[in-house]
Amino acid sequence: MIATIAKQEWRLLKADRTLAAVVVLMGLLVGYSLYNGSSWVAFQRQTLEAAQTEQAERLDKLKSTLTAIESGRLQPKGTQDPRSASVIGATSAAPYLAMPPAPLATLAIGQSDLYPYYFKLNLRSKQAILANDEIENPSNLLAGRFDLAFVLVYLFPLVVLALGYNMISAEREQGTLSLALSQPVTMSQLVTGKILLRGGLLLGLVVGFTLAGALVTGVDLSLGTVWLRLGLWMALMTLYAGFWFGLAVWVNGYGTSSATNALTLAGAWLGLVLVLPSVANLIATSLYPVPSRVEMVQAMRVAGKEAQTKGSLLLSKYMEDHPELVPAGEKPQADFASLSYAVQMAVDKQVQPVLDRFDAQVDRQQEFVDGFRYLSPAILAQSAINDLAGTSLGRYKHFSRQVDGFFEQWKGYFLPKVFAKTKLGSGEVARLPVYRFVEEDDAAIVGRVGVVLVGILVLTGVVLGLGYARLRTATLVA
Amino acid sequence: MIFHIAKKEMREIRQDGRFQIASAIVLTLLCVSLGIGWQQYSTVRRQHEQAQAQTREQWLTQGKKNPHSAAHYGVYAFKPKSPLSLVDRGADQYTGVAVWLEAHKQNEFKYKPARDANTLARFGDLTASSVMQLLIPLLIILMSFSAFAGKREQGTLRLLLSMGVPRDQLALGKALGVAGGLGVLLVPAALVGSAALVLASDTGVFVANLPRLGWMTVSYLLYFAAFIGISLTVSALAKSARLALVCLLGFWIFNGLAAPRLFSDLSRTVYRTPSSFAFAQRMEAGLKQGFSEEAFQKQVLAKYQVQRVEDLPVNYAGLSLKAGEDHGNEVYDRLYGELWDTFEAQNRLQQQGGLVAPLLAIRSVSMGLSGTDFAQFRDFSVAAEKYRRMFIDVMNDDITHAPKSEGPHLGDDNLWAKVPAFDYAAPPVTTVLAQQTWSLGLLCFWALLAAGSAGWAATRRLEAE
Repeated sequence: MIATIAKQEWRLLKADRTLAAVVVLMGLLVGYSLYNGSSWVAFQRQTLEAAQTEQAERLDKLKSTLTAIESGRLQPKGTQDPRSASVIGATSAAPYLAMPPAPLATLAIGQSDLYPYYFKLNLRSKQAILANDEIENPSNLLAGRFDLAFVLVYLFPLVVLALGYNMISAEREQGTLSLALSQPVTMSQLVTGKILLRGGLLLGLVVGFTLAGALVTGVDLSLGTVWLRLGLWMALMTLYAGFWFGLAVWVNGYGTSSATNALTLAGAWLGLVLVLPSVANLIATSLYPVPSRVEMVQAMRVAGKEAQTKGSLLLSKYMEDHPELVPAGEKPQADFASLSYAVQMAVDKQVQPVLDRFDAQVDRQQEFVDGFRYLSPAILAQSAINDLAGTSLGRYKHFSRQVDGFFEQWKGYFLPKVFAKTKLGSGEVARLPVYRFVEEDDAAIVGRVGVVLVGILVLTGVVLGLGYARLRTATLVA
Repeated sequence: MIFHIAKKEMREIRQDGRFQIASAIVLTLLCVSLGIGWQQYSTVRRQHEQAQAQTREQWLTQGKKNPHSAAHYGVYAFKPKSPLSLVDRGADQYTGVAVWLEAHKQNEFKYKPARDANTLARFGDLTASSVMQLLIPLLIILMSFSAFAGKREQGTLRLLLSMGVPRDQLALGKALGVAGGLGVLLVPAALVGSAALVLASDTGVFVANLPRLGWMTVSYLLYFAAFIGISLTVSALAKSARLALVCLLGFWIFNGLAAPRLFSDLSRTVYRTPSSFAFAQRMEAGLKQGFSEEAFQKQVLAKYQVQRVEDLPVNYAGLSLKAGEDHGNEVYDRLYGELWDTFEAQNRLQQQGGLVAPLLAIRSVSMGLSGTDFAQFRDFSVAAEKYRRMFIDVMNDDITHAPKSEGPHLGDDNLWAKVPAFDYAAPPVTTVLAQQTWSLGLLCFWALLAAGSAGWAATRRLEAE
């Protein structure tokens, strides 16, 4: 029965201009947004490549300088000895730590235009490393990007609603509803047939265009993780479309006019997609206000000033704790580099609680938001798409933890050499710690996206349930 | 006659349940956002004032040290929160809040609040400006999409026209009715906003910001007028109320959601932003080139007609430091100037996008008048940089003219006090208006176009059935 209805619907849609309009519109939206996504990915790749090249050249130069000094062809002069651990660790061998775009990064620009995707290491403070980010016009950051996630989260529901807002009310207004229902068919079957056809068509278009776009923009389809992510993405889109169709069914069950339905559904869309997220943001920032960065800057400065005044004291204390670092046959003696790193370590230690407090509050705020998002399918969909595309806060944190780890490793390698005033040889260049980005586990992604899918499933189930229940009491004539 | 129609229209609107709910929600959102804006503004202002006083105190009490060490120690400049940011936060969340002013380097502003924000922040801020730019036009559409089309469906339009009501008066009456309905909402909100502004600062600040507020009011009224006109036009032309609604919603989505992103993409394509990596490399190369210590030394020796640095009547170290600064400043001016010009060109193109989407025009005007747009961020950056150069100069001059042969030269509290405190005043409203000519012009254009087309559609194109 449902198949017959779907077939009939298909005939009606084909005769109408709506179908052509939807195909063209979805094609344009998906195509344009994927183009945007892929050009951003290309921009990141180019930047990372340029950074890699620069780093390789710098290391080669360092190696040849060190070899030249060892063979006596070059005399180190001036205060900056190229062999010194502080010069090598802080500048000449400082690596770039990168988070390359994930395989499906073209799907969503997400938070990746806000958070850095590479850092240049130094030996100083983590703050100095983390503070660097990509140059961008603030107005552009404010406007956001026209990426596929925007199309899917914001515009796709509108297309769903445009296809569904009058699915019963139009028939009622034309008087064909009672005619259709005089056949051996129930209202639920009629609606199911309509939803299946329209929803199937729309999803087919979105998935088809996206896969085609992915192929064109060079997504590597041979990777297992790509298929896993695409599968999760399709499940997400199906549930998300289901939610909005469910809403349309529900509203249609009330027997109001098509114009009223359009208005009600537009209001629901506005509330769930635009108002609720910003209200939630407002509540989150009011309940868990993030401490001011300005105060943090001041705390660091005060700590720095204190540490500076007792710099030599700090250094000698450090040397007492680490007598093995005192160069043989030498009395502990302060040089500029050792002093400044001793000061830096003291400042880091003193400022750490302030930073921890800061991070803890940001995390609390995010936790609140993560709980709140189950109220709006749009927030859920956005967070899942970002996770699948690898442009979410979650992946940035994963990257940031790796940066932390490597920074400690790097300092652990160099700082003792700075204090011991070790001179590094050319052979050392090959033995430096090497950073390699480790991609997130598929399990972690499945975990994060899985919860979201369950959330949307529940919302969709509730709305569809209410909608179908409502249909039983719907009136047949206008 | 007009007032009869307007009054009747207003009564109808106010009795409409949908309008009551929608306007209650919008009014609540408007007041809540103003309240939160007020709270944020006062907190941030207090923090920044304290921090600014503290950094000054640190500078003054840094004790005896070499003036160049003092220059390295430097000061911080904290971007002040503009009072009207409680209406429109603009790009504030996406610009850094603090910059370290130190020797040799023009640093970038650090700590964009957006990076510390939760993931919902990108869905959009709830501020008075976003309510006025997005939600109120929607309310206008809600109030007026059926003004003609709906009446025609009910058959009352024919009745009304047969009574000999002039069509232009009918249109004007309807427009006034919608405006009146809106006024019920906006007047209380404006009072709340003004009260918040007075509470958050003091009456002096409020009075000083009156011109900005006045221009802002005019701009928003033009924006709303444009929407009323467009809605009435569409309602008069559309075959059915449903069609009018769908068309208007389509325009609203394009205006509010698609256009800002499309024009930001377009501006980025036309005026390319360099990557931070490429920019840093150019900076490094620029700083390395074009300045030779040796050549400079020769030049100085020649100028003073001596053979050795030791024979100079002044300290060479100070001159050399100053020359290094001058060279750096030239590079910074060139590169940052280029970058910021690119941003401004991008923003200008987005302003011009107001030709197809009035939101782009009002967004730009609103941010500008609130003092939260890029141009005013740049103004502050330039002022901070000027201050940096000034105090570094004071330090280097002191080194140059320090008495020779007295051991290491140390600066003291007197020297630090020679540097005045950093004092920044936001640009006057005339500067902002000059930057916003395009947007203001486009807002007027939209309002006139919409009014004209509504009149035309009502008198020439309106069909009774």
